[in-house]
Amino acid sequence: MSPQLTLQTPLELPPSEVSSYLDRLWTQEPGNNLGAHTFRLLVWQPAWVEQHLIRTGRLHGAILGAQRDEVIDQARNVVIESDLPLSTPPLTNIVAEALSHLSGDHSHEDLRGQHVDAAISALRPRRLITLAPSLEKAQPLDTMVAAYCPLTEEGDDTAACGDVVVMRGGLSVLSQALGILQPLLPDDMPSWVWWNGSVDEAPELLQQLALPNRRLILDSALGNPRHCLDLLKDRIEAGQSVNDLNWLRLRSWRETLAMVFDPPQRRNALSHVVQLDLDVEGDHLVQGLLLSAWIADRLGWQLFSSQNESDGSLTATFNRSDGTPVKLRVAPVPMGQPSIHPGQLVGLRMICRPDALPAACVILCGESGGCMRLEAGGMASMELIEEVVPMPPTTVEEDVARLLEGGHDTTNPLLAAAAPLAAKLLH
Amino acid sequence: MTATLTNPLRVGLRQERVIAPQCLVIFGASGDLTHRKLVPALFELFLQRRLPSEFALLGCARRPWSDEEFRSKMAEALAEKVTANPQAWEQFAAGLFYEPVDLQKPEDVVQLGVRLEAIDRQRATRSNRTFYLSVSPKFYGSGCRALADAGLLRDAERSRVVIEKPFGRDYSSAQALNKVVQSCGKENQIFRIDHYLGKETVQNIMVLRFANTIFEPIWNRNYISSVQITAAETVGVEERAGYYEGSGALRDMVQNHLTQMLAITAMETPGRFDPEAIRSEKAKVLQAARLADEEEPWNCCIRGQYGPGGSQSAPLKGYRQEPGVDPNSTTETYVAMKLFIDNWRWQGVPFYVRTGKRLAKRLSEVVLTFREAPVHLFDAAGGSPTANQLILRIQPDEGAEFRFDVKSPGSGMRSRPVEMEFSYDESFGEPSDEGYVRLLADAMLGDPTLFTRSDEVEAAWRLYTPLMELMEDSPWRLPIHPYESRTWGPAAADAMLGHDGLLWRRP
Repeated sequence: MSPQLTLQTPLELPPSEVSSYLDRLWTQEPGNNLGAHTFRLLVWQPAWVEQHLIRTGRLHGAILGAQRDEVIDQARNVVIESDLPLSTPPLTNIVAEALSHLSGDHSHEDLRGQHVDAAISALRPRRLITLAPSLEKAQPLDTMVAAYCPLTEEGDDTAACGDVVVMRGGLSVLSQALGILQPLLPDDMPSWVWWNGSVDEAPELLQQLALPNRRLILDSALGNPRHCLDLLKDRIEAGQSVNDLNWLRLRSWRETLAMVFDPPQRRNALSHVVQLDLDVEGDHLVQGLLLSAWIADRLGWQLFSSQNESDGSLTATFNRSDGTPVKLRVAPVPMGQPSIHPGQLVGLRMICRPDALPAACVILCGESGGCMRLEAGGMASMELIEEVVPMPPTTVEEDVARLLEGGHDTTNPLLAAAAPLAAKLLH
Repeated sequence: MTATLTNPLRVGLRQERVIAPQCLVIFGASGDLTHRKLVPALFELFLQRRLPSEFALLGCARRPWSDEEFRSKMAEALAEKVTANPQAWEQFAAGLFYEPVDLQKPEDVVQLGVRLEAIDRQRATRSNRTFYLSVSPKFYGSGCRALADAGLLRDAERSRVVIEKPFGRDYSSAQALNKVVQSCGKENQIFRIDHYLGKETVQNIMVLRFANTIFEPIWNRNYISSVQITAAETVGVEERAGYYEGSGALRDMVQNHLTQMLAITAMETPGRFDPEAIRSEKAKVLQAARLADEEEPWNCCIRGQYGPGGSQSAPLKGYRQEPGVDPNSTTETYVAMKLFIDNWRWQGVPFYVRTGKRLAKRLSEVVLTFREAPVHLFDAAGGSPTANQLILRIQPDEGAEFRFDVKSPGSGMRSRPVEMEFSYDESFGEPSDEGYVRLLADAMLGDPTLFTRSDEVEAAWRLYTPLMELMEDSPWRLPIHPYESRTWGPAAADAMLGHDGLLWRRP
């Protein structure tokens, strides 16, 4: 599916008039209100790397704010040019920071918010609000509004219309203009907030946008690992519906590991795990911690101790329900061509020592990684079960659409159990 | 399947497709199916978090219930599950509503539209609607028409209708009904349910055939000598005498469930895994199927009716002694027949199909018998060599087994058959979902793969038309053979296979 532009050229309005303008628009013909009764989505869309790439002339065309190949390729070049470690994920703020030191003043059109990914537009959002911070901190606030009604094949009066609101400007003016958002996000249908950036940037803004009654989508791979896990934990404990894209990307790992233990004759081994090793890309351990926490929670282990090692890894000891210790190690592994998402899992090893039976070793590897590192270490005497974890290519927009499509007003119970434990592991 | 120790890593882990926010409208909500099958299936989906938060179930029937009454009746029906999951039920029940509707009254259906709009606003169900006609078959056509007239089927992407079996009583009535429902909406809005297709093991036939390279090259007339499809029940007619007297085993089981198993077993490989591609192949193979002797169908079809049986301590009534059954009833409770499929793959291979009530064992299976080795080099331990068989067990003991000969231990070179087995229990250890869970989810997802298309239904009815005409015009040509309850059916059915030098498999 290709992204879609709004059909109507957005209308520039003073911020104070946006809400009343839209109210008038939807109610001017009483009895014929065609607004889709679906959901409203508020997106924090900084696209810092893309903005810098365009400013420095490395990328041509408009700023779209979408995850696309040209941006990723150019960002990878910047990693090399700037002498950043090769394992630096290309769309992170480290790359944006490196780019900020490069000169360039290329002008560009900014279509963030008007450029709706097809996976999301297919869900017919009633309102899409985009907060698009500019590189220029002093940039004044622009507010634009567009309404649209997709044409249906039958040409009937299907209630499918929606509107798009874009707020663009420097960070401080955006923060000051948040007052206009409340009337734009009433409670008559679900409201989602997608924080499409690092959780470290603009924490106050995140606090103000992600109110408890709004469903929050964030990516715990973006930002300081401790901030990410604390944020997840706090929000979950406060009862908010939290959706973590980093957790969502673990689904193939969870499924493959569960699949290994589907045959009932293997189940007993799960009560005799003694060691768990996880390899993650780069130095962002959150995904590894979330998966460890999920396993520990499902198998009823209690955390005994954890510590950060000098090599960047994290070790911990859990106690099984029978009191036997389980050793955990989550280790960073440098990658030449890292994923665009920081800290993606590349390997898992689980060693089980059932009584009076040969030990078993389960090794799962990502399609791009390989199992060699985890295969080392004297496992010849064990029953070896190896699986390659499939990684279907999906964009972040497709993952978000998946969440929006079958939305829940509560956090997934598995994530709700795993995130606090993962946060505890890191502390 | 028997329940085994749950895989703790499997809990809450479902890689299912996402059901969009929507309102499921059940007509006939005061009926048996709703509280016995549909609402339990929906609650199961809810417990598995496969229903979105923006979901509503609107029960509709003529009784003047309120939302609260409907909720409490459903809670009563699901008492065990509700007690086990009180909080979940509370959340689920908040999305249950009720609207008194008589589908024959246009004003009721208009009011239904108003109520649905209110529910859309209240539950943000985005105008996605699935209408489930769990009503008497005579109201299928008029029910669809009423919905269409009220404009509730106008959006082909967001509204669909699920129709329970039986879809018609014969070829012409199925055709007429298809015409009516197709005039109300597009074919992709119509979901004709056959709960056999919701069974994991029926779907597995497709995976077994098309995901493995070892089976498809031998899945044809060159290697397979015959196919047997059996759906045997141990129960009698129970409380369904009223319906069963007018339908019989042919309409109740053969035309739909067994014919679907036949189609999936015999269809060509679809070009892609796509609902239309699969349904087209199923329709094609049914269009090529025929009774083994269409001119004289009595040569290839046996009808039976269970008589008394059981033991002295636990006697079983015969069909004619069952409450609600005519003491002189000629309704068949057993059918066995022989079919051929006139295409390149199956020409000359007999398909034997049988179903019956009060048989010796409850089971459904497909048995493919392979041709014997052209030359027998070895003595067989059992006297004569046994042909290879692939047995696909649909229920119970879901799985598959393959029978082949090996050398019998000891001196000499005698062969004897052994079995290689796959069991769902042993490999997965988790009970699979009830058929309605899968089918309701698919209907709400708008995925028609496991639902029958109009041409499939018509081809299935047309296949049995010579039999039905005979039963109508000259019933003495297809006499009812009595059989003792809890046996494997009338001897005449054995004789039909015996004539071809074969035996029914006795599992």
